[in-house]
Amino acid sequence: MIERNKPVLLARINKMKQVTDVEEYQKYNGFSGLLEAIKMEKERILDELDLAHLRGRGGAAFPLGKKWRHLYGAKGDTKYIVCNADEGEPGTFKDKALLEQDPLSVIEGMVIAGYLFSAKAGYIYIRGEYRRIQKIFQEALDNAEKAGFLGENIVGIQGFNYTITIISGAGAYVCGENSALLNSIEGKTGRPRVKPPHLADVGLYLQPTLVNNVESFASIPVILREGGQAYRDLGTEDGGGTKLICLSGHVKNRGLYEVNLGTPLQEILYSEEYGGGTATGRPLKFIHFGGQSGPIGAVENLDDCIYSYEGLWDNDLSIGSGAIVVMDDQVSIVDYLVNVAAFFAHESCGKCTPCRLGTTRILELLTKFNTQTAVSGDLERLRKMLTHVTNLSACGLGQSVANPMRSGLTYFPKEFEAGIREAVAPIKGGFW
Amino acid sequence: MSSLSLSEKEAIILENDSDPRRILNMLIAIQYASEEGFIDEETAKLVADRLHLSEARVYEILSFYAILKTEPQAKYVLKICNSTPCLFTGGEMLSEVLEMILEVPADQPTPDGLFMYHSIPCIGACDQGPVIKIKDTVFGELTEAKVYQLIDDLKCGCYQEL
Repeated sequence: MIERNKPVLLARINKMKQVTDVEEYQKYNGFSGLLEAIKMEKERILDELDLAHLRGRGGAAFPLGKKWRHLYGAKGDTKYIVCNADEGEPGTFKDKALLEQDPLSVIEGMVIAGYLFSAKAGYIYIRGEYRRIQKIFQEALDNAEKAGFLGENIVGIQGFNYTITIISGAGAYVCGENSALLNSIEGKTGRPRVKPPHLADVGLYLQPTLVNNVESFASIPVILREGGQAYRDLGTEDGGGTKLICLSGHVKNRGLYEVNLGTPLQEILYSEEYGGGTATGRPLKFIHFGGQSGPIGAVENLDDCIYSYEGLWDNDLSIGSGAIVVMDDQVSIVDYLVNVAAFFAHESCGKCTPCRLGTTRILELLTKFNTQTAVSGDLERLRKMLTHVTNLSACGLGQSVANPMRSGLTYFPKEFEAGIREAVAPIKGGFW
Repeated sequence: MSSLSLSEKEAIILENDSDPRRILNMLIAIQYASEEGFIDEETAKLVADRLHLSEARVYEILSFYAILKTEPQAKYVLKICNSTPCLFTGGEMLSEVLEMILEVPADQPTPDGLFMYHSIPCIGACDQGPVIKIKDTVFGELTEAKVYQLIDDLKCGCYQEL
């Protein structure tokens, strides 16, 4: 039974002595999701996922049930399963915890996908910075294979042959974009593809491909073990389950937590169980949600905000990856955004012009505001540039760059205005 | 140039089944095992040859991914996280202090070839910021005093494994 306010994804963490040991994993409900799944009709698995209303945990929040149904209906005998473990979103360190401390849960989710789609090959793309974790994960894969949960005739089902291969990233933020990630797995440079076609139709090696985040895969066994409805009940109407959140910045208790979707934001920020309030003694000013491309909210406007998909949408915010970066009132929003813009200018892959040049122009403009050298008209130029980059960029990286800047302009307009140099005034009077 | 012998490099390629899909796994493993922390031309040619790829493809990959280097690195490369959660919890101090101690600007090795520092985006240790990463090891919750001590410890050889 799963209950509210109890860890679900983190349930095994710190309990297992050997995190890659299959027997120990099974002691804590491990692989029972897979064993339930193979008893079900395949359509029934999809129904349970729909019922659970799990939204993709990588950041896009697309309903996972729909994505899986799309792939299920896709034409093609060879289908690939890919786990996106290229966690490079600043402020996010949740996938790291699962990969490092409960790798078998991610493997179980990927095996269930392999079973449902009759896939032969799965890939997990782990970022290069997590090289140590790649070794742990490989050990977990080897142990799972020895125990008959990977390899040939898995769990005794004739013809259920499925392997998982680790592919290392090497430090490119854009590879977190699904199509760039597939290019990188193919041994190419990780630049995004033009979509459509959808990856569920034309993905890895041009075959139908499923790409999901680590946390999404780890949630699959829970849904099939406990049932879609029980999982949904952990969350809210617009998104079932629990969410791993990463608190960082100026809160006292920085770290990784698991919360039920629907938890009040104030509780997350101030209760001792979670954030514990300010770490600096200064009042908290703004929160950057979901990573660098996420929106920013002013703390003073968020007294009644509920941390759920719909609760944040109502406030023009979003959950994204689960990052919650909190800043106190000594941080200037313009200064903060300059650093966000510098990140994007650095990480833009350069394939499409609007993103390559646009991110640089945004950085230049914001720097002018930050050094009080902006001139009248720059605000208008900044707004236009944000619109161009959003509308014209080819992939999600460029399309979402403007989110934090727009929030900044909405909630803290005075700080931008303060960066505009006053016009030079002519001297009045006198005989010239 | 690199300290790895031909057979050691070949062993790493074989460990990855000479599989072109795992080229990044190989290049990173070779780079981390080499003394000077970069992929030289000879190694790039070897990888291209064994994986049946063109040299241009291997060079494209080396130049695209930030972790891979084509120039010799210092013995200890101190990577400072400059993403906002770390930067605004004391991260700005790190590069200032390092510049003061090491007396070189970012990206330039010290004359003795021992140290080098530069900024990188998020390494996923935001709850321990500000942080410095050296190879696979993260040093977190740093203060000015701790940075001085870290440099001293490195000079004394306290971190043999790095």
